Amino acid sequence: MPDEEVLEEGVLNPVQPEIQDPLLQRILADNEATPATEPTGEEAPAPLPDPTDEVDCVVIGTGAGGAPLLARLAMAGLKVVALEAGPRRDPTKDYATDEKAQNFLFWNDERLSAGQNPVAFGKNNSGTGVGGSTLHYTAYTPRAHRGDLKLHTDFGQGVDWPFGIEELEPYYEEIEHFLGISGPTPYPWDPTRRKGYPLAPLPLNGAAQLMERACRQLGIQTSPAANAALSARYYQEGIGWREACTNRGFCQAGCNRGAKASMDVTFLPLAESFGAEIRADAYVTEIERDASGRVTGVVYEQHGRTVRQRCRHLFLCAGAVETPRLLMLNELALNSGHVGKNFMAHPGMQVWGTFPEDIWPYKGIPGGLISEDTHRPKDADFAGGYLLQSIGVMPVTFATQMVRQRKLWGQPLRDYMRNYNHIAGINILGDCLPHEANFMELSDEKDARGLPKPRLHFTAQENEQRMNRHAEKIMRQIWEAAGATDIWAFERYAHVIGTARMGLSGDDAVVNPDGKAFDVPNLYICDNSVFPSALSVNPALTIMALSLRTADKFLANLQ
Amino acid sequence: MPHYPEGTVRALLATDQVTPATRAALEARLNAPADYQPQFFDADTYALLQAVSARVFPQPDRKTPIELAPNVDKRLLAGTADGWRYDAMPPDREAYRLGLGGINQAAQQAFNQAFVELTPAQQDQIIGQLAAGEAPGENWQQLPQHRFFEEMLAELTESYYAHPLAQEEIGYVGMADVPGWQRIGLNEREDREPEPIGN
Repeated sequence: MPDEEVLEEGVLNPVQPEIQDPLLQRILADNEATPATEPTGEEAPAPLPDPTDEVDCVVIGTGAGGAPLLARLAMAGLKVVALEAGPRRDPTKDYATDEKAQNFLFWNDERLSAGQNPVAFGKNNSGTGVGGSTLHYTAYTPRAHRGDLKLHTDFGQGVDWPFGIEELEPYYEEIEHFLGISGPTPYPWDPTRRKGYPLAPLPLNGAAQLMERACRQLGIQTSPAANAALSARYYQEGIGWREACTNRGFCQAGCNRGAKASMDVTFLPLAESFGAEIRADAYVTEIERDASGRVTGVVYEQHGRTVRQRCRHLFLCAGAVETPRLLMLNELALNSGHVGKNFMAHPGMQVWGTFPEDIWPYKGIPGGLISEDTHRPKDADFAGGYLLQSIGVMPVTFATQMVRQRKLWGQPLRDYMRNYNHIAGINILGDCLPHEANFMELSDEKDARGLPKPRLHFTAQENEQRMNRHAEKIMRQIWEAAGATDIWAFERYAHVIGTARMGLSGDDAVVNPDGKAFDVPNLYICDNSVFPSALSVNPALTIMALSLRTADKFLANLQ
Repeated sequence: MPHYPEGTVRALLATDQVTPATRAALEARLNAPADYQPQFFDADTYALLQAVSARVFPQPDRKTPIELAPNVDKRLLAGTADGWRYDAMPPDREAYRLGLGGINQAAQQAFNQAFVELTPAQQDQIIGQLAAGEAPGENWQQLPQHRFFEEMLAELTESYYAHPLAQEEIGYVGMADVPGWQRIGLNEREDREPEPIGN
């Protein structure tokens, strides 16, 4: 047995790719063989940028937080550079329809999960690569509700956002039409919207049909869900026509058709068409400041080199773990004491059942059907609420989750999995209250770069537990009404939220309502870390809306 | 429970209904050399991991079982992770070292023999203790037993169901997606989706 102590520090194996599949290893090897791993497009490679050049804005991260504002800033004529820790890939050639081969989409550096309900990261909650987590998001795009932004006003718990829903609505509209959201018009739980969805809903798969049938019986209203995959060809500024979804059901392992509106096929090409530069494989380690506390530039590692990029303004959009981690590592914007605090995760309990019907759960978008009747349940004994979604699932994801919950092994495990084509699920996505027991910190354990690994503490509190009980009961009722047998529930928590929250005062928040850091004059933060509360809907659309809003506020302040 | 015909995925891999990247990933698993030599584990520990894997995924129906231990060995050698770890657990290499050692301690306690020497029924008894969090052994003072079992089970399960033969077993043909799927509703089978045989 090799010496554990030495090997565990990663010294002998610095930053190895996470890939075991030969094809992807070959791709990575090819990438490494080309010294300037610029994107392999048809266009001639751009000359290497002069590292002493000062640009107007550096954006760290190219996911839902960074990509929209990158496009907005570039369109305003600013010189902008985005730094993405992960690689740039061509989904049409590099993506396999294979879950294990697609593990490169996830942020696989180890995070330590503590508390009574340790949160899974990797494929559950993180992303890397040009496009960030949107490369593997399920592309659910429900809007937040008015009440989601004023939990404290309505329940006396949690916190209000520093502005109301009307601040986000114009951006929701703009993004829905830019991305080409497929969804129902009018929207059943918000029928007075000014504009409907640009495309009709995507078709319902087996799980969605089962849930629809049972909910009708139980008097629960349902609807095809809003989803950022195209139900028809759609014209995309900056990229041309994007093709319609072919129901391959692989959204969570990467879309190889460009039908799903991940950032790499939407806001990022738009940004590049207006002159933005995206540098892949650029892992930021330092944020530099002058004596007055202004950010002057960042230092990043790329292909074994250390590079400095000077900037007039910095936008930190690295997600709710890496954003606070960078702030902590650089001792930046820490005056409020709230960096890393208020860590929230959506209750995402799933209930699964086995049905006599053929379901083939890998076909169609995973979450075809939604109900928001539980947004503010009349019989609730908790603050906030949740939504219900049907779930189809890929086999490896299903099997690994199932064994974690049910601990099946041996012949019973193989026997149960033979029912895969007859299995369907429902899950919730519920609000979560901030709590002092839930936070991120830097651990003493170091990663392969010698930087402290993040440790995240999460314990579901009374409110989340009550919500889970309420939801599990309803989901079991639905599946019983649908004719399921062998029903089982899986308590889980998804999305990482709130570790650098937005607020009215630098005493209890890290950024102001414009997304600007209270402590640092030229630092903006935009990703799920700035959410003051978790919302009872999937976060991606709201992150994008905040991203455009942050850019607009910045541009207005610039004048 | 349904039983599906053999050969479905392998037949589809030979068609243009599977993309080249997908085919490469799946064929690499199908064609993995049978004589994998451990590079991280020593020979005895590796044999123990193989024996445990064979009880977690017993494959009496296959002449050549799907090998699950090589992926664990390769991953631990490379030092790669899946993005997170229970804070209560030691680093993965240490966890496997302690956990596999603990399985042997439990075998010694119950049967006075190493795990690999036990009959399949005795081995199942030890795995059953482990799954219930009741396996004896001093290593479990340093390693939460239920978490170790959960992590090992999830890792072996990922390898097993990523294998084309296991996908044939459960009737999964989602990799053949080049034509897309038009018939996606309840009981809507497409021609390339297999019908069960027998019960």
